[in-house]
Amino acid sequence: MSEKNLDYEAEGASVVKLHDSVRRERILPPSGREPLSFGPLILGAFVLLLGAGFLGAYGNGFKDDIFITSYYRPEPRPAGAGGDTAAAQLTYIDKVMKDGKRVYGNCVPCHQPTGLGNPGQFPPLKGSEWTAGGTHRFAAILLKGINGSLKVSGQTYTLPMPPWGTLSDQDLAAVITYVRHEFAGIEEPGIVTPEMVKAAREEFSGQAVPWTEAELLAIPKDEMLPGAQVDPVTGEPAGEKAEAPAQ
Amino acid sequence: MSLDPQHATADDVRERAAIDRSVRYPVLFFFTSAAAWLFVATLLGFLSAVKLRVPTLWEGCEFITYGRLFPVHMNALLYGWAMQAGLGVMLWLTARLTRSECRNPVTLIAAGNVWNIAVALGVVAVWFGAGRSLPWLDFPGWVAPLLGLSYVLIVVWLFPMFHRARAGEIFVSELFLLGAAVWFPWIYFSANLVIGKGGSATMGAGANAWYMSNLMYFWFAPVALAATYYLIPKIAGRPIHSYVLARIGFWVLAVCAGWTGFQRFAGGPFPAWMPAVGGAAAIFALLAVLVTGWNFRETIKGREKLWEYSPSLRFTMFGALMFVIFAALNAFSSYFGVSKILQFSHFVVGLDTLAVYGFFSMTIFGAIYYIVPRLTGTEWPSGSLIRSHFWLSAYGIATVVVTMLVGGIAQGGAIQQWNLGFGRSVEIGNPWIVGRIVAWLLIAFSNLGFFYQLALMFLGRGRASDGPTLIHKKPGEAASAEAAAGLEPEGAGV
Repeated sequence: MSEKNLDYEAEGASVVKLHDSVRRERILPPSGREPLSFGPLILGAFVLLLGAGFLGAYGNGFKDDIFITSYYRPEPRPAGAGGDTAAAQLTYIDKVMKDGKRVYGNCVPCHQPTGLGNPGQFPPLKGSEWTAGGTHRFAAILLKGINGSLKVSGQTYTLPMPPWGTLSDQDLAAVITYVRHEFAGIEEPGIVTPEMVKAAREEFSGQAVPWTEAELLAIPKDEMLPGAQVDPVTGEPAGEKAEAPAQ
Repeated sequence: MSLDPQHATADDVRERAAIDRSVRYPVLFFFTSAAAWLFVATLLGFLSAVKLRVPTLWEGCEFITYGRLFPVHMNALLYGWAMQAGLGVMLWLTARLTRSECRNPVTLIAAGNVWNIAVALGVVAVWFGAGRSLPWLDFPGWVAPLLGLSYVLIVVWLFPMFHRARAGEIFVSELFLLGAAVWFPWIYFSANLVIGKGGSATMGAGANAWYMSNLMYFWFAPVALAATYYLIPKIAGRPIHSYVLARIGFWVLAVCAGWTGFQRFAGGPFPAWMPAVGGAAAIFALLAVLVTGWNFRETIKGREKLWEYSPSLRFTMFGALMFVIFAALNAFSSYFGVSKILQFSHFVVGLDTLAVYGFFSMTIFGAIYYIVPRLTGTEWPSGSLIRSHFWLSAYGIATVVVTMLVGGIAQGGAIQQWNLGFGRSVEIGNPWIVGRIVAWLLIAFSNLGFFYQLALMFLGRGRASDGPTLIHKKPGEAASAEAAAGLEPEGAGV
């Protein structure tokens, strides 16, 4: 069909039968020449001040390594805490678990305080083969995140897991230990150290995008992060102690 | 003062009529298919809210889960209704402002069909579970080229019109229309590129938030403001108060809006400056909004009574007011102390609804009430149906915004109490969803009258003209909104 077939050509501009609404309409008057008045100027100055103040207060000099930390939930005071003395009595593993619980606050929105996740949306950590397995895989997931679907406890989940490589080695080590102890019920070999996480971070530094399920499955299921174990009570390297009976 | 300096000459009227005739088929095509999508979207909005309140309803049917209903609702509302109706308004406004006839209505209708097919494919894909789970970008990746292509095929025909425009002052609506025409391809392409091809999942989420913010500030806002800048002086018979202010508004929006977006994920794994820049830009963009609102207010000053009688003015002014409220809430919720509580709560849904329905859709309704009689040659059958359309929509928006804001504070506050547990925060937020159900019910009812009238107009069954259709007046009772309001004519309207 040619465009000319449409009847506006046929009716032409000379036809008298014009729509009433068009006829009673008047011309669009040229815009007014009012100069800037006082009101908008004051309003504008106020808005500019607000915006600039906001940028100054929160921009942190545009540094790439400063993150907003105030969004993390405050840790509750343990009941009957006696201040420094109580802290001093904590064993190393208690301290790590306490740290881990604090860092786990990042995971709570999706995986829930119970570690059960949200069915159909966020996979559980409790009873999951991924948390009960080796720490090598676990560290890989936390450092780089996951993209695409992932089968957990027989169910498939599709929402991406964000990478948490921005957390410190210490925080990551604590949260891995915490999740394994709290939700996977694993005691031995117990503690992931910041050194182990640091080594893993270097190992995976070439990985630019989140893992896929296939890539993760390529890491052996029960492989642990290499590195020296520490004593759960003192936090000292456990190497000499472990070797002592052999001598 | 001369008798009536704004009165159009016979040549003006003939030219205007020829322009309207040249664009009437594509514009009516966009309006009617957009209205059909709106019908789908409002029903789904209601259904998804019900499903969120009572998740056990029709349990086991994957097509009626909230995770699919809500994205389908939102995308049908955005691309099926809002953008499509916006394209129709864009086309008509451009033809009128540049005073050039549209030379290829058939091409435009063909491109419009591609747009509708793309939206339909995307909606079906999301409904069958192939969505991307990215708000406002839920359509699977392969829909994006199709949608982008049809957009380009539609708006590219605006440029010859601008080219043919007679020399003279550029009306401010033309700036907004040109801006919107070129900004959408940019943001749509960039967001899809970052999400589909590069970057981490974190960056993808950031690009997603950036896209949502900019679809609002770089497309919906300029198209709606172009319509408002055109309609207010036409109906009030007054020139725009200040050309300077109007241009300031445009340029502030153009410079600042592109930086907004990341504040939606403040506290996420981004360097602190990214959400800070987003929040600051949302505050700076407030400047454009306030200046524009001020300009509208000064233009209509002393003639506010027209609001009661002119359907177009009523809807567009309500839209402008909602724009100011939206921008203020958006800037307010950018503050870190506030966003910390509100960012993952119902509040966000309320804000999005306010922007897309309260501001953009209401403004576009105003434009449609103005444009369609000029295309069909008949008048809207009933002023009281228009009135009920307005009030039910207005109450619907007020309900959703208030309940989602209060419910969002309650829910977000509960999320902050880590020892309450996430489930408890859901329980606390849940009763407020009733507000969303009621709101979409009201909106669906309000739109029934609109669909009915638009269908009559489209089928040539509108009222034969004996004067404009005004609210509170019987047909033919008043020759114009001004006469109805008892104001001295400075120009003429409706």
